[in-house]
Amino acid sequence: MFKLNLKIALRNLWKHKAYTFINITGLAIGMASCILIFIFIRYQLSFDDQFVNKDRIYRVVSNWESKGSVDASQGVPVPLSKAVRNDMPQFEKVAAIQSTGGVVLVRDEAGRTTFKEDTRIFYTQPEFFDIFDLTWLAGTSSIALTQPNSVVLSQDKATKYFGDWRKAMGKTIRFRNQMDLKVTGIFKEMPENSTLALNILVSYANYPYKDSDNWGSVGSSSECYVLLKKGVDIGSLDGALAQFNKKYYKNDTDGNRQFHAFQPLKDIHQNARYGNFSGKRMEKKEIYSLSIIGAFLLLTACINFINLATAQAVSRSKEVGIRKVMGSRRKQLVMQFLGETLTISIISVLIACVLTEFALPYMQNLFDEQISFSMLEHPVIFVFLIVLVLVVSFLAGLYPSLIMSGFSPALAIKNKMTASNAGGLGLRKILVVVQFTITIILIISTLVVLKQMNYMRQQPLGFNPDAVAVVGMPADSLSQLKYSSLKERLLKVPGISNLTFCDVPPSSNNIAESSFSLNGIKVKDFQVRKMYGDIDYFKTFDLKLIAGKLPYKSDTTNGYIVNQTFLKMSNIKTPEQALGKLLEVNGKKFPIVGIVKDFNDKSLRQAISPILISSQKNEYYNMAIKMDSKQMMTAMKQVDKIWNELFPNDVYGSAFLNDDLNSYYNTERVMGVLFRVFSGVIIFISFIGLFGLISFVASQRTREVAIRKVLGASNYELVRMLNGSFLLMVFLANLVAWPLAYIFVSKWLSEFAYRIPLSIWPFAIAMAISMTITFITVSLRSYKAAQTNPIDALKYE
Amino acid sequence: MIELKNIEKYYANKGVKSYILRHVTTSIKQGEFVSIMGPSGAGKSTLLNILGMLEEPTYGQYEFMGEDVVSLNERKRIELYRNHIGFVFQAYHLIDEMTVAENIEAPLLYKKVPGPERRSRIADMLDRFNMVAKSDLFPNQLSGGQQQLVGIARALVAQPSIILADEPTGNLQSAQALQIMDLFKKLNEEEGITIVQVTHSEVNAAYGSRILHLLDGVIKEDVTVQQTV
Repeated sequence: MFKLNLKIALRNLWKHKAYTFINITGLAIGMASCILIFIFIRYQLSFDDQFVNKDRIYRVVSNWESKGSVDASQGVPVPLSKAVRNDMPQFEKVAAIQSTGGVVLVRDEAGRTTFKEDTRIFYTQPEFFDIFDLTWLAGTSSIALTQPNSVVLSQDKATKYFGDWRKAMGKTIRFRNQMDLKVTGIFKEMPENSTLALNILVSYANYPYKDSDNWGSVGSSSECYVLLKKGVDIGSLDGALAQFNKKYYKNDTDGNRQFHAFQPLKDIHQNARYGNFSGKRMEKKEIYSLSIIGAFLLLTACINFINLATAQAVSRSKEVGIRKVMGSRRKQLVMQFLGETLTISIISVLIACVLTEFALPYMQNLFDEQISFSMLEHPVIFVFLIVLVLVVSFLAGLYPSLIMSGFSPALAIKNKMTASNAGGLGLRKILVVVQFTITIILIISTLVVLKQMNYMRQQPLGFNPDAVAVVGMPADSLSQLKYSSLKERLLKVPGISNLTFCDVPPSSNNIAESSFSLNGIKVKDFQVRKMYGDIDYFKTFDLKLIAGKLPYKSDTTNGYIVNQTFLKMSNIKTPEQALGKLLEVNGKKFPIVGIVKDFNDKSLRQAISPILISSQKNEYYNMAIKMDSKQMMTAMKQVDKIWNELFPNDVYGSAFLNDDLNSYYNTERVMGVLFRVFSGVIIFISFIGLFGLISFVASQRTREVAIRKVLGASNYELVRMLNGSFLLMVFLANLVAWPLAYIFVSKWLSEFAYRIPLSIWPFAIAMAISMTITFITVSLRSYKAAQTNPIDALKYE
Repeated sequence: MIELKNIEKYYANKGVKSYILRHVTTSIKQGEFVSIMGPSGAGKSTLLNILGMLEEPTYGQYEFMGEDVVSLNERKRIELYRNHIGFVFQAYHLIDEMTVAENIEAPLLYKKVPGPERRSRIADMLDRFNMVAKSDLFPNQLSGGQQQLVGIARALVAQPSIILADEPTGNLQSAQALQIMDLFKKLNEEEGITIVQVTHSEVNAAYGSRILHLLDGVIKEDVTVQQTV
């Protein structure tokens, strides 16, 4: 029976090739999107999953509360790890880890430098290896880093430094030209799906501030991990933690306090509040919205299937009738039709797997992650595919099979089954409306996302970031002596028009803020953002002064320039009033000498901060070079060469400011791509479904069309008759979609401080697009139906 | 075998009842060959559908092999289809996606006949109707007469006790029609299968043992055919 039904299913699919094609294409594309989303989410959820103790590992994090505003940090005060170790016996192990960066030098026996790079290293304690089980290729966790001046390297780093990791044990590397570190262990590279991107680990004894007892300073680079004892519930520590907080923050009041919390390892990757060393995160919210899009895509494909299957049902009514009088139970018919859907689903999922393989490199590129589609490595993917097939078969197959198996045999056999009494007509209309509602919401969202991105790209920033390169500088006092000669030599290079030493370019995520006093009165409402740069800072970035003048050229602060936002927030009415007012920041008291026109100092999601700019040589970590855009490449080569001549022990690094600015909008860029792709997919699926449906309607109404034609209807009238209900459905879908899309896009836009006004246009365009495509799709088929010779249709029966 | 008492069938439309069948009372015994005749719209097909349990009478009593059909649930009715009733249609109604052999096999599958027996019964049928060479063809590759032979073979393969035929020769040329009627007669006489057919043709009706004349839903005449052959 099964074999025969399968055979019939395949013959049926073959007979209705066009519909089979529509169904399988739609389902395969929908499924492929789902698979891609699934493997992406699986990858995101797999972060930090490789550790044996993962369920007992927690990170200590810091929180602040003051007057209703809250703040949080992934870091802890340096003395915290010692205190936790002493005060909380519930933890088996406690380890501090400190992130820092610097130049690593590798030298051969003769003392020649064979390799140097500016890289990130971590100071940590031996307990760290008891909490996180690394795979050791050489050395062991019990002895590595127990001695001062020791370092453990990842396999890749060791290979990079010494040619072969097997040769690395016992060798030394030099860090920051200050300490020589002996390699005491090699561990296997940490997987990419880890929030701990550890390559080089140095004994904590080498950390210069390891004995600090300053509880008031929290840096995001000082983290502390703990391993809970077996059988202890983290909730039982609440009391102990409250006491701990009270003990170390005695001066806190209720409205203004600092306190710590334990963050489970699993949460680290999914929590944007704190952040982590790898910088990779994926919030639950984003995972949910991706899942919803996936579900929508699948739903749209299933709707196609249901619509086509119920429309097709009429042509199979005879078979149902005959099978019934031969003694088939309804249940058997339902199973037969579900079996057919299963066949289609299986074919679709196979094609979807192929599509996924093709799309995978693009997705890896888009997200910049190595996402795996290996079912051997991750059997859960295989399970997902099976679940997907079953869900789709059931979702898409159940309703049509119930409809078809319910036909009355007497009517079915006499070919008296028509579209209307076959049932499902009303539902089919509702489903089309639902399908197009989803499609139109996606079209509107895509238009708004793209428009907003375009707006941000064209928004004047208040400074000119074009053809500006930012080069990192060594900031020790010895190197600073060479700054002026570097500047002199670089300004001679053809193509370089200006350069400035500074701590950050005008727009940067590296933010230093401070409280301050104005004319001797301490300002409590807000803090001011500090930027340091020499006198050429303004010329290089084309910043406009609206009042006052630049301070005299100096290596130390001798006057402040503030921005318009600063004036506004300090309630100073005109720029002229501000000039000469005394500003005290970090104990330095100087007058305001100039007012700079507002510029965007952060991404356009955020509003402009109150800013002060002053010169302060020991804060210059960067050099910004303004170039002629035509000679950029040759000039940069010269910069590289001259820089390396002057700072042979340091590592040259440069980036174009525009690239940095664009990276602010990485999330939006990815989102833009996703929206474009998914709305393309959903439009495709919806419209091939529509085409299938109109084909059926046209063939079912052939006789009606023929009769009307004989009665004198014109082609135009016939096309209009066939098109009418479809255009009405899509129009209704527009009406349903508009408010939903409005809620969605206005919520999304509200995250931006600088945003496009939400006009009627995206909605109107979405309507125009959907109606036009519907009209074309439907007319193609209905025109053909209207043109057929009525005799062909009428001579049967 | 079949007892009909006071069968009525009507459709109510805006309070006006349009009758299809009125006061139909008759009985059909095992081994009879009954032809139902009458002009178009007389209710022949409806009567046959009621006999075949494809339609329910609005009113009246129908017993099939001693069982009250009106109160029969679906499961029981399907059991009757599987074991006792074979249908033959004017438009043959073969399943287009199945070959000749598969069409004949289908009812056996529902009856859960084991594989070897299925194969022997199909072979038997194909042999009997001289269609061994055509067993792998699809219905649309056969002539009308051949398709109807397959239809009859399909009805017979489940070894029913009654065959209900709705104008079995209506779509056939007369030579083929004669062949089908000969077959019915043979089945009726040699195997004792009860046959009820709806027909327009006096010639066809003459093959049977009894004729029910229907007019406007009422049995006007119930005559026993004098076997001339």
